[in-house]
Amino acid sequence: MKTKCKFLIKQSLKKKINTKWFKIANLLVLIFLIGIVNIDRIIRFFGGDFNEVTKIYVIDEANAYSLFESNFNSLKESLEDLGNYEIVSTTKRAEELKGEIENTKDFVLQILPSPTEYLTAQVISYDAISMITEQLLQTSLNTIKSHYVLETTGIKEEEIAALTSNVSIHKEITNPEGQTSENQELISMGLILIFIVPFFLLITMLTQMIGAEINDEKSTRSMEIIISNVSPQAHFASKIIASTSFVLIQALILVVDVAVALLVRLAFTKSIGLSGETSAQVLKLVQGIQSSGVLSLLLRGLPIMLLLFLFSFVLYAILAGVLASMTTNIEDYQQLQTPLMVLLAVGYYIAVISSTFDGALFIKILSYFPMLSFLIAPVLYLLGQTTILELFISTLICGGFTFFVFHYGLRIYKVGILNYSSRDLWKKIFKSMKEK
Amino acid sequence: MLKVEHVTKYYGTILAVDDLSFEVKKGEIFGLLGVNGAGKTTTFRMITGLLDKNSGTITLNGKPIDYSVTDKIGFLTEERSLLTKLTVKEQAIYYGVLKGMQEQDILEKLDVLLKRFHIEEYKERKIKELSKGNQQKIQFITSIINDPDLLILDEPFSGLDPINVALFMDVIKELKEKGTSIIFSTHRMEHVEMFCEKLVVLVRGKSVLSGNLKQIKKDYRKKNIHIEAEHMDLEKLKEVKGVLEVIKTETEVVVKIASEENVNDVFNYVKKCEGVTKFVVEDASLNEIFLEKVGVMYENEM
Repeated sequence: MKTKCKFLIKQSLKKKINTKWFKIANLLVLIFLIGIVNIDRIIRFFGGDFNEVTKIYVIDEANAYSLFESNFNSLKESLEDLGNYEIVSTTKRAEELKGEIENTKDFVLQILPSPTEYLTAQVISYDAISMITEQLLQTSLNTIKSHYVLETTGIKEEEIAALTSNVSIHKEITNPEGQTSENQELISMGLILIFIVPFFLLITMLTQMIGAEINDEKSTRSMEIIISNVSPQAHFASKIIASTSFVLIQALILVVDVAVALLVRLAFTKSIGLSGETSAQVLKLVQGIQSSGVLSLLLRGLPIMLLLFLFSFVLYAILAGVLASMTTNIEDYQQLQTPLMVLLAVGYYIAVISSTFDGALFIKILSYFPMLSFLIAPVLYLLGQTTILELFISTLICGGFTFFVFHYGLRIYKVGILNYSSRDLWKKIFKSMKEK
Repeated sequence: MLKVEHVTKYYGTILAVDDLSFEVKKGEIFGLLGVNGAGKTTTFRMITGLLDKNSGTITLNGKPIDYSVTDKIGFLTEERSLLTKLTVKEQAIYYGVLKGMQEQDILEKLDVLLKRFHIEEYKERKIKELSKGNQQKIQFITSIINDPDLLILDEPFSGLDPINVALFMDVIKELKEKGTSIIFSTHRMEHVEMFCEKLVVLVRGKSVLSGNLKQIKKDYRKKNIHIEAEHMDLEKLKEVKGVLEVIKTETEVVVKIASEENVNDVFNYVKKCEGVTKFVVEDASLNEIFLEKVGVMYENEM
């Protein structure tokens, strides 16, 4: 029976993977991902107004031109995706330049000394300048202001740094399990992206796979030949293992696809050039995770989390298999699995909002609910809202419930897979649950 | 040898098979007959272990039927139970391995069988691309690829033209010669008559007729007389003692009589007629026996 079960797993996987559609779909996904990761390059390749060089005519009345030019250029180089600029020093008056910048994106920057603010600036443009350009100007001018003050007032650099820096708040948390991050929401979103979204997608894929395959075998009546040679237990197990393996392989392919897409970008740009804003956010997220202690929580809780994910995969696979066995065609199955998908969406939504409702009792209770726990419990644990023990309890409950569902689900499955009529379906199901 | 003893099956409160008993010996062809819903498929499903029986025993070569003996059973279902997205080769491997065979043995056997059924060119074709008749051949091939001790054929000739029916029959006879016990169901009584030795007729799950086909026919008292004559008064013929019915066809007259004892009465009348070229006494056909037995049961239950 073991050999037959292995064969069924192999066949089931082969049927899913060894098809031209699987290859085409994954090739398209790869192309799509390469496109997404390199979208800015693609946009630039096709050209547009953004290719034009914007001239910045600088009227320097504060004797700060050279400082501004070097600062702006170095900023522009590090943020190369943000646009093309050319800085032009001019002795012309602003009124004269207004004619030159008419109907162009060029603009005039007047740097002025100020008795109260040390330094001010005025921008004259034909149309409003973009937000990014304004931010670039602001950052450059803020930087040169410090230098300008140093040069003009004699205040020491350390004094300026001390004055302008944020007040540091030292935090001491006495609960070793309950360390929270100062960027809790940001971390929560990051964790959701890393853990929850892929598993949410994989489980959706898993339930579809099992449903389609069982319905195919039922509708062609090949189920009768299969079950006359292999026990329903072995058949059921083969479906669960094959579908779970398939989605894991698919997930691995997606990871490889992302890596290829990043390598393609690297090959063209010699750096994985995330835009300035994105890289700053990523950096902030990584720093946030490190400083919050989430990383150590993750490492400590990872084995339990993986077990919880595994139990949940099996649980959803069992439920999908049971539902598929009860139906006679894929349309009926899709109708029947809708509540399951809604439940999954509820779990996802609660996981997303859990950082907003710190310590919410209702969410904590839901984190023990087997079909939702794999979405909520890890997030609560990593946010420091629950302990590792609570995560373990959620996993135990999920494991126990999975065993319970397998035990009773198999009884329904045995009856369902050879049932071709929807007449008295629920009666048959309840009756089958009582039979050993 | 397959032994079915006092098997009963209920679907809820509905009695599907009622105290059914029969046995199929090695190298024997057994017919399971009945109208739709008589309990044939339920019986097959119980034999293959797909359904649990409420009472009774089913054994193959003395062992109860479970997954330790199903490798030696071949099963052809009434509907096409093929995975239509697979190729013929993949399908044969799929079912063959589930029967405990090695892939190499399956491929060797498949080549022989495809040739036997004149469809060797379809080996790499997908099942869904084949005609209904060829799909039936593939289904048949997959049911005998494991050289079964017991072969169960549920309506094996459906969708086949007469040439292919003859081909199937030849293969079934070959299997019988090799010692395979064969049990099959069909609505076509002439197929049963052609090669069946023993049979059971089911009506609403109950056996109404069973035994050796020759004996059943012998025991059935009614006979048919086939007559060819230039001039014959059919109205007078109907008045002869024991004549139940007179049917005139294009070439002959068929006289149905109540028993063999009435043959002489008919003969005495016929010999007086002019230009008699044929007078043949035959047993009633299985179809007639079936219709009468099943018809009586139906009438009694209505």
